Amino acid sequence: MMKKTMLAALTMGLFTTLQAYGADTVKIALTGPFTGGSAPMGVSMRDGAKLAIDEINRAGGIQVGANKMKIEVIERDDEAKNERGALIAQELASMGDLAGVIGTVNTGVVLAGDKHFQEKGITKIITPAAGSASMTQWSKAGVKDLSIFRFSADDGIQAAMVVEEAINRKLKKVAIIHDSTNYGVSGRDDLLDQIKKQGNRLQVVATEKFNIGDKDMTAQLLKSKVAGAEGILIWGIGPELAAVSNGMAKLRMKVPLIGGWTLSMSNYIDNAGKNGNGTLMPQTFIEDPITPKAKSFIDSYHKAYGVTRIPSPMSAAQGYDAVYVFAAAVKQAKSTDTHKIKDALEDLREPVKGVIATWKQPYAKWDPANEQTHEAFRRNQVVMGMVQDGRVVFANKADRQRLMKAAGK
Amino acid sequence: MYTLLIIQLAVSGALMGMVYALIAYGFQLTFATSKSINFGQGELVMLSALFSLTLIDRGLPYWLVVPGGMLFGVVLGLFVERAGVRLALEQKSEGWILLTIILGLLGFSAAENIWGRDDRPFPTPISSDPLHFFGIDVTPLELSVAIGVVAVMGLVELFKRKTLLGKAFEAVSADRDAAQLMGISATRTIQLSYGLSGLVAAIAGILVAPITTVGPTMASVLILKAFSVAVVAGLDSGFGVVLIGLFLGALESLTSFYLGSGWREAPGLVLLILALAVRPNGVFGKASIRKV
Repeated sequence: MMKKTMLAALTMGLFTTLQAYGADTVKIALTGPFTGGSAPMGVSMRDGAKLAIDEINRAGGIQVGANKMKIEVIERDDEAKNERGALIAQELASMGDLAGVIGTVNTGVVLAGDKHFQEKGITKIITPAAGSASMTQWSKAGVKDLSIFRFSADDGIQAAMVVEEAINRKLKKVAIIHDSTNYGVSGRDDLLDQIKKQGNRLQVVATEKFNIGDKDMTAQLLKSKVAGAEGILIWGIGPELAAVSNGMAKLRMKVPLIGGWTLSMSNYIDNAGKNGNGTLMPQTFIEDPITPKAKSFIDSYHKAYGVTRIPSPMSAAQGYDAVYVFAAAVKQAKSTDTHKIKDALEDLREPVKGVIATWKQPYAKWDPANEQTHEAFRRNQVVMGMVQDGRVVFANKADRQRLMKAAGK
Repeated sequence: MYTLLIIQLAVSGALMGMVYALIAYGFQLTFATSKSINFGQGELVMLSALFSLTLIDRGLPYWLVVPGGMLFGVVLGLFVERAGVRLALEQKSEGWILLTIILGLLGFSAAENIWGRDDRPFPTPISSDPLHFFGIDVTPLELSVAIGVVAVMGLVELFKRKTLLGKAFEAVSADRDAAQLMGISATRTIQLSYGLSGLVAAIAGILVAPITTVGPTMASVLILKAFSVAVVAGLDSGFGVVLIGLFLGALESLTSFYLGSGWREAPGLVLLILALAVRPNGVFGKASIRKV
């Protein structure tokens, strides 16, 4: 008897504390690789997101119905490992009072973990993982109601831009080099797909791959060189991409290297050094204070984290904007209930002013026949970036002008 | 043109193969005296490289960093001998296998906690601008690896042949019991061999770091290849490891060109299986005769 009452009292107590906790904060989990080869992206995303969260909290929090609620952050390091990602997703999904999840860098981790969120209907905004499979897995399965959103320029857009750039540069023969991970292989398929879509104007003379950790790319590069490649389209991550650039310098291959946005990772730029100059990649944000909003974001990032260069500027900007989009959905839903937030995200009425763009209705009701309903980025929010002396700059002056003009309106 | 291509591939691969050879040589040194090897040798390579990088970050010039890193390698080698090998050998047990693996794992975790998991560039005064020899591109960096490897091995071999301490080393390698009867301390000699092995690992780390970048996982691929080279050449083959290292490196490069880059790792493994099946003592190994 005694035992039972105690147990009851304990459970009651637990309940009230949980409820009390749930009542005055909006719990958001930030997940991503904060250590390892993908860390520049994960850390920048997290720090950018926390910058936005700090700003919101300093202003009193999010207006949820009648009262203002502060954001509480839960951080989890998935180490870019699929199995860690799955465990973290299970843990977060079972929390019960989570408002939502923002993050994940690696497409493999998305594939391993997101099913746990979808099962419980927990709202997640994927950023900055770009692999196409992250969203197509749901359309292929014919899911009717989806709680997973993406806030990143998906590989489809990126591949289209890479192919476009190659055609604009009057290249005829190209080689495709990619890593052997989910990300690299699906990137290769996207590139081949886009080449076909854009009228088969590029001839793929070599398709080569490499493993994570490979440092000697001589064979892959020589094969491309012998086949007469006038440009190299590439899909991989930082350290190996740097090995490719260094290999190209060694073999005196002076052809353009164009690839996914990972070519802007600091561990590519640092390890490739001067051999990285001229490399081209799609970017959603460039660390160039062209608008007042961008300037204040860049300055406060530098100040808050004591750096002079953001390790991955676009991850940071996407993390920052994703938090504001999420917060807008919480406000509109007038609730911290993750299901209601999902509904609000699918029909976001008020435009959200972000550092990348002003987001008007970024998402729509999920349609399994069209993944774009849960993708925020369109082609015109993405620009071509180029590595120059250790930084990423606008590759085309016209893009810079266009963005400045758009912000001026 | 086509022959040039093959030569370029072979040369690029072979230069990486020299690194396998140097690490394999580290295995040989300890095996010769004690019939034991340090399964954490890769971590020694990695820790020495990370330590050297820290010295560079502190502003030390490269020519001071190299001896600093080497000294660190020697200390690590001695530590492995004292903590992981000596007791096991005294008790004639095979405990050193597990102990050296554990020490390696410990070193790996320590590196992750001290230096983080990122791969970082290793600054070097040696240029990476390509040189042109008879139509083949080679960087001075790659050449420095080759020269360094040959120089280190040459010096160690000279030491073994020309100095009194070196002769003791050879004596213990030939017959531990007989050497002890002649008044040579086997324990000291084994200690020496582990110190030398640590030194070789450190040099391998410093030489290869500018090419591979530096991080906790930098040696995990290298060490497997080095082990293949050591076993295929024979654990008492001396300069045999260089030949096998060159061969394996070139073979890898050619395989990934002709069979496709996915097959790169295959030749090392096939070679290993073949060697174990046909010549268990290694291509250049001596069949040991043990009289009872």
